[in-house]
Amino acid sequence: MTTSSITAPSRAPTNRDENWKYANLRALSRVSFDVVPSDQTTNKVNFELPAKTTECRLVLVDGQFSSALSDAPPHDAELKLDPRPLQIEGVSIDHHYLNLNRRARHETLQLRVLPRQSVELEILHVATGSGQPAIEVQVESGAELTLIERHIALGTATAATNLALDIRLAEHAKLHLARWQHYASPAVYIETLNLGLGVSSECDLTQITSADRSDTVVSSRSTVFVTHAGEGAQLHWNSAVIADGQQQHDAYVRIDHQARRVQTHQLFRGIASGRSKIGFNGHMLVGASAHGTHSGQSLKTLLAGHEAEANVRPQLEIYTNEVTATHGATVGKLDADLLFYLLSRGIDPGTAESLLKWAFVSDVLTHLPSAELRHQIEASLVRQLPGAIAARDSSAQEKDR
Amino acid sequence: MLEINALQTRIGDKEILRGLNLTVKAGEVHAIMGPNGAGKSSLAYTLAGRPGYDVTSGSVRFEGADLLALAPEERAQAGLFLGFQYPVEIPGVNNVYLLKAALNAARKHRGLPEVDAFEFLTLVREKMRLMQMDEAFLSRGVNEGFSGGEKKRNEILQMLVLEPKLALLDETDSGLDIDALKVVANGVNSLRSADRAVVLVTHYQRLLDYIKPDVVHVLARGRIIKTGGPELALELEARGYDWLLADAA
Repeated sequence: MTTSSITAPSRAPTNRDENWKYANLRALSRVSFDVVPSDQTTNKVNFELPAKTTECRLVLVDGQFSSALSDAPPHDAELKLDPRPLQIEGVSIDHHYLNLNRRARHETLQLRVLPRQSVELEILHVATGSGQPAIEVQVESGAELTLIERHIALGTATAATNLALDIRLAEHAKLHLARWQHYASPAVYIETLNLGLGVSSECDLTQITSADRSDTVVSSRSTVFVTHAGEGAQLHWNSAVIADGQQQHDAYVRIDHQARRVQTHQLFRGIASGRSKIGFNGHMLVGASAHGTHSGQSLKTLLAGHEAEANVRPQLEIYTNEVTATHGATVGKLDADLLFYLLSRGIDPGTAESLLKWAFVSDVLTHLPSAELRHQIEASLVRQLPGAIAARDSSAQEKDR
Repeated sequence: MLEINALQTRIGDKEILRGLNLTVKAGEVHAIMGPNGAGKSSLAYTLAGRPGYDVTSGSVRFEGADLLALAPEERAQAGLFLGFQYPVEIPGVNNVYLLKAALNAARKHRGLPEVDAFEFLTLVREKMRLMQMDEAFLSRGVNEGFSGGEKKRNEILQMLVLEPKLALLDETDSGLDIDALKVVANGVNSLRSADRAVVLVTHYQRLLDYIKPDVVHVLARGRIIKTGGPELALELEARGYDWLLADAA
């Protein structure tokens, strides 16, 4: 499908659509993106922003770029605001919310990392009302980008975000992408991420979705398209969702292998506590020309609440013989043997469960590219995994001595 | 310190312990030997409070208190330590996290403040030297990727840091080579004192060459069928269990 076809009218998805089965469509349907934030809103936030994780930070408030709150871009990158909507090619399904974003009356933030340069950058999305950020990132040949992308919701009203993000890696480019969606107030979050990988490019993506408290009402839906377009491209995907209360998080991730000798390593960990719901649909597609592809998929969720729900679905669609593909998906409860081991050491049940939950997502957390970000994420999980964080903090201090 | 009286347990419908009596006094080391399936590990798990091991009758008093009324973590906090036959791996939870959390739980139970970070590290390093363990183990996940011998050393390290009143060591010698056996035995011996007790569950006399027991018991068919001194272990090594089982029958 071409760019022009994306703008064609598309109906809103329903839970009868295969890739939207577990999305909280009721929450999404209640969201209105009609209000475009004013410049005054964009450049003035009456809340304290979190500490920066990189020297340079760009801030978007309700989808609009805030020049007042942003740093000057690094020398080795170009930044501009394009008045046109985001141009994404090749997205052939699930484009309703992308279309909605494209019809919004605001600019696309374009970031370009110059060839053979190395750039570290944070993009902070602040949601106070509704917003539809559109971002395009181009990492040129041989360049390396460490991008920390954070989403926070501030205020007491339900914030709504519909993000469209397009990332292109040229040949031999590298991207270390850390995405953190953490909500301290009610939020509805929708995103369409399109990621194109060129020849011998490498992307490691780590994504954490969490909320400050179990009673923070949050619904999120991620629709992700990755295309291995260049020979020898590599993707390391690590994502974790920690849900509690009545939070609902759903993701559809399609990784399309269309070039020779490409690799995908995908890991998903979800913890569903309380009455929360988690969905993860990992769709691996290996095209007829993708000889020598290696794809590995490990999707695991932990049911930590009597009324919690988790749906993980690995899908493999392979059209060539020369491929190695592994996949595994589990939905389970805390391991009784591990729990008893910790209890037998005198650790109280609450802390023991926290430690095991921590252990469950630690596979993902270890991939974060920034120590500062990791520290902030760990600190943010204090309410959900109290014992684990306390143990980790004190131990880290001891190791420093 | 420990008084077990007519203890009967079952797992599901299967009867495991059938009226077991055992008294362990402070300062003593007891060895419990017996054929496979006798109920040795079940005894250790029952005392530690593992779910699924249901006590149908009998009593267990530990330091005068009703042990069976306590939750597993309360038993540990009260000073009971179980060294597992098959220690589990917990990737993502570092050894140092576990040790600190466990030690502080025990201190809290005794009304003490949390251990000072420097004191804690000094203590752990001292015990690791005794167990001939590299400090790199501290930052690894609990037993993650450890060899069988390393796991057993780690169990004893935890025991030394927690300084329990009563240590139940379930086949701590299995899977150990001679050198590792000496290290583990050295660790256990370092904990021996007039106010502590150790119960060793083992299949082999060789462990008792390094940890001298005061009392040796034979557990079979869910009860203690013979009790003696260290010489009993030597006799079992020479004659096996058949002669005792025949007598018991």
